[in-house]
Amino acid sequence: MRNTNVHHEKKKYLDSVYNRRRIFTLINFILLAAGSLLILSPLWWMLSTALKTMQEVMTYPPSFFPSEWKWDNFVKTWQAAPFDLYTVNTVTITVIVVFGSVLVNSFIAYGFAKIPFRGKTILFGLVLSTMMIPGFVTLIPQYVLFAKLQWINTYYPLVVPSFFGSAFFIFLLRQFYLTIPNELIEAAKMEGASHFYIWWKIGIPLTKPAMATVAVFSFNGAWNDFLGPLLYLNDESLYTLQLGLQVFKGEMNTQWNYLMAGSLLVLLPVILLFFFFQKYFIQGINLQSGNK
Amino acid sequence: MFKRRAILLIAALFLLLSGCAGFKTGAVNQKASDGDEKVKVDFWTFWGSEIRRPVVEKIVEDFNKSQDKIEVTHTFVPWGDIWTKELAAIAANSPPDVVINDINATALRGKKNQAMNLSQFLEKDDISGDFYPELWEATLYEGDSYGIPFNTDTRILYYNKDAFEEVGLDPEKPPTTWEELEEYAAKLDKKDGNTYDRIGFYPLWGIQSDVWMLNADGVNYFDSEGEVSIDTDANRDTLDWLVKWREIYGENTINAYQAQIDSQQGNPFFNGKLGMFINTPTFYTQIRDYAPDLNFGVAKLPERTEGSGHTSWGGGFVAEIPEGSKNAEEAWEFIKYLTGAEAQEYWAVKNFDNVANIEAAENAAKSDEMSETDRMVYQMAVDNMDETLLTPVPVNAPDFTNLINPEIDAVLLGKKSSEEGLKAAQAAVEKLIEKNK
Amino acid sequence: MAKKKPLHIRREGRQGYIFILPWIIGFVVFTAGPLLFSFFASFTNYDITSQMDFIGFANYEQLFTGDQLFWTSLYNTFYYVLFSVPLTTLGAIFLSALLNQDVPGLRFFRTVYYLPAILSGVGVYLLWMQLLEPGSGMVNTVLAWFGIAGPNWLFDPAWTKPALIFMKLWGVGGGMLLYLASMQGVSQSLYDAAGIDGAGRWQQFRYITIPMITPVIFFDIITSLIGGFQIFQEAYVMSNGEGGPVNSMLFYNLYMWKKAFEAFDMGYAMAMSWILFVIVFIITIINLKLAPRWVHYEGEDN
Repeated sequence: MRNTNVHHEKKKYLDSVYNRRRIFTLINFILLAAGSLLILSPLWWMLSTALKTMQEVMTYPPSFFPSEWKWDNFVKTWQAAPFDLYTVNTVTITVIVVFGSVLVNSFIAYGFAKIPFRGKTILFGLVLSTMMIPGFVTLIPQYVLFAKLQWINTYYPLVVPSFFGSAFFIFLLRQFYLTIPNELIEAAKMEGASHFYIWWKIGIPLTKPAMATVAVFSFNGAWNDFLGPLLYLNDESLYTLQLGLQVFKGEMNTQWNYLMAGSLLVLLPVILLFFFFQKYFIQGINLQSGNK
Repeated sequence: MFKRRAILLIAALFLLLSGCAGFKTGAVNQKASDGDEKVKVDFWTFWGSEIRRPVVEKIVEDFNKSQDKIEVTHTFVPWGDIWTKELAAIAANSPPDVVINDINATALRGKKNQAMNLSQFLEKDDISGDFYPELWEATLYEGDSYGIPFNTDTRILYYNKDAFEEVGLDPEKPPTTWEELEEYAAKLDKKDGNTYDRIGFYPLWGIQSDVWMLNADGVNYFDSEGEVSIDTDANRDTLDWLVKWREIYGENTINAYQAQIDSQQGNPFFNGKLGMFINTPTFYTQIRDYAPDLNFGVAKLPERTEGSGHTSWGGGFVAEIPEGSKNAEEAWEFIKYLTGAEAQEYWAVKNFDNVANIEAAENAAKSDEMSETDRMVYQMAVDNMDETLLTPVPVNAPDFTNLINPEIDAVLLGKKSSEEGLKAAQAAVEKLIEKNK
Repeated sequence: MAKKKPLHIRREGRQGYIFILPWIIGFVVFTAGPLLFSFFASFTNYDITSQMDFIGFANYEQLFTGDQLFWTSLYNTFYYVLFSVPLTTLGAIFLSALLNQDVPGLRFFRTVYYLPAILSGVGVYLLWMQLLEPGSGMVNTVLAWFGIAGPNWLFDPAWTKPALIFMKLWGVGGGMLLYLASMQGVSQSLYDAAGIDGAGRWQQFRYITIPMITPVIFFDIITSLIGGFQIFQEAYVMSNGEGGPVNSMLFYNLYMWKKAFEAFDMGYAMAMSWILFVIVFIITIINLKLAPRWVHYEGEDN
């Protein structure tokens, strides 16, 4: 009797937790869905412009739906410039940059977060400082530097710096390393492990979500980079997608439909990548908590 | 272990990529030494669109075929950013050989040693007489030219003939003075309750207040001696006149239309919601493409009072040789071809663009490759060149507009009187010039 | 005389330098030169191509005493930072909290919210110019459904900066990525313990999640501040490079860009950049000093 009563109480409690959770989930879902509409509506505008004829684009007031869905705009856009080649170029640059960024920044950040050495604070201050100088004023001297290295019209200026760390990513990964308990590191050191070993075997696995973040950010950065390729590439056969998109923007008038179609096409691989890459944010192994 | 693996991986990656075109160094700006002996001339433009690109590449191809010593390569660099890139390349002493650049800052670039002084070439081939004098004038710094005019533009009045007819105006008699402009605009206005079905005219759509100041007395901000002449009677009257227009139509109507025009989508002139509109002759190509049935006419800008002049405003581009070009002689040969009558006429007809070469412009206006309407507009553009003034960037105050524009904005928004605004602008620009002397 | 540290500490220190060596090399080779150059050139009338004469503090003096636009641009930039940084930070945390739950379609939502962050460049700003168009742009059309008469956004000097901040908020999902990654690190056992103690969701969020992700909040604030002070491209595109109306979009970097690449007064622009550097540096130092009061590191070294 008594037993069933307890059981009953517990069930009631669990039910109420369950119900509350359900309501919470529902509210959450509604909020997210409403927000998604807000986020997506500008993109809808983009898509509908991409599907219109130029004639319709030029009609006022703009219509929400194309009167005639010109799907072949996408084909025409792709043919307006050698976009196949630009894709290969962009992928080449991006892959190298992501590889370099993820590996090297993690290495450097570990050093700043977990190894005591003299002058660390000042050096880290210097790392942060490099972010605070507006890029315009170093643009010309940097170009001259790369010209002296004979790197103009090559991909070196675009990819090599990513193998020497970037302040933003170093800072980011350092923040994540700082959340790893020191006891873990100390224990490994007791067993005679070097910091290189600890970084590779403990550091990297523990900061996987952060490294995934760096991967996505650096992918984005390289994929969307405009100024770098603009400055450093002279041969059109080396151009990237972002430069290719500029053919639709003239000094007087813009081919809106093609520009929007092109922007969407360039966006697509990034969306897909992000969609499938997400599990790495979720699957970060977490020693301190023990959850998966 | 892992370290070695990582290093190996990186090494392998670089080995793999060193075969890729983007990783071959030292391919820039070398004098051609391989067999064929042709000198390579690097030519940068911002003409990458479906329409312009084939035209410029045809000109390049024709030039390459016309002789066997020079090989010009055309490279598209995005609009606007092309000049940042050019500047960086000049700073690194590895510039291209010919670049299309803004005519209005040519003197400034000459002063700054960015563009090459062309007088050495002009001594041998004086082509200065081939171009509109006003354009040529703009390329000079201390008497020497730093760029050869390529194309240009001007501002003309477009008006809707059907709308004229509808309200009883003679469709063959566009307004010729500011007064007529106001009168016609009022007639063309069509109001439905609080909103307009059609607006007759508003002076600041398509052009800005500086063009009207220029139109009023031939001077907007700097007189012919280069003295600051912002705070003048003519400018004050012009601003007051513009404020009057603003009050007629009201803030909201103006902004709504303005945004439509600025967004480059759906100009209200296309569908008859605007009776008259001032823009460049190339604006016609949009009418042709997007509103082919519009019955319109073109005219010179009205004058402030009878006899004050139908002064219009223009700009354009020059072909220049950046300082440091290794192939200046060959670049000059190409520029001569590019700005010569044949190439210019081809450009003019194919792009419906105003060219700097007088002979080419006049031939284009008669070209049978163009339709009758094409020719009507083009002829007006050519005629209008006599009235067109350029306002080159003053070499002592290249960025003066940020001092003037806010004052003028404030006047137009009714936050300042025209006296106050122009006085403040005059003082600020004088101070800037003083500082830069 | 410094005491000699024990061998293993020194050896560890050496390892530390090896770890940061790539950055040091990169800094020395790629960054230090151009930075030093820009510092020295800020005391000259450097114009890239024709002159570079030492003029002492003239650029700095002119900026502080004779250049109204310098103050205008500084004001605009502070205005933007003051609103955009807190709003985007709060927005991103809130959004991540929602996206860190079990919700149907989670993957889809995460992708959608991250989309604006991927979209970058001129095309997006051109798109927003159309959306913000006062007459029939989508923003004002939607506002009208709720009976709100939308402002003239980019045409009204009072609304240009709010318009840019609004646009920035659209891209709030960019920060979400960081917070999600960091929320993944918060121990489930902490929540379980709190749940047993009867803490509600809000309390769990407030007293567990937030403190545990403070290192990333800190990162986000610092980098957003640095980035916010450097706002450029949106203003450049959306004001046609002019910074108008009434200079309301003339941000610090836009003004600097105009000085550097329109007037070719590069020395002056370099002086401007170092002033901005000092401002941002001071703000960052203040933040670093305040950090120990609220940032919680699980594994901080002593």
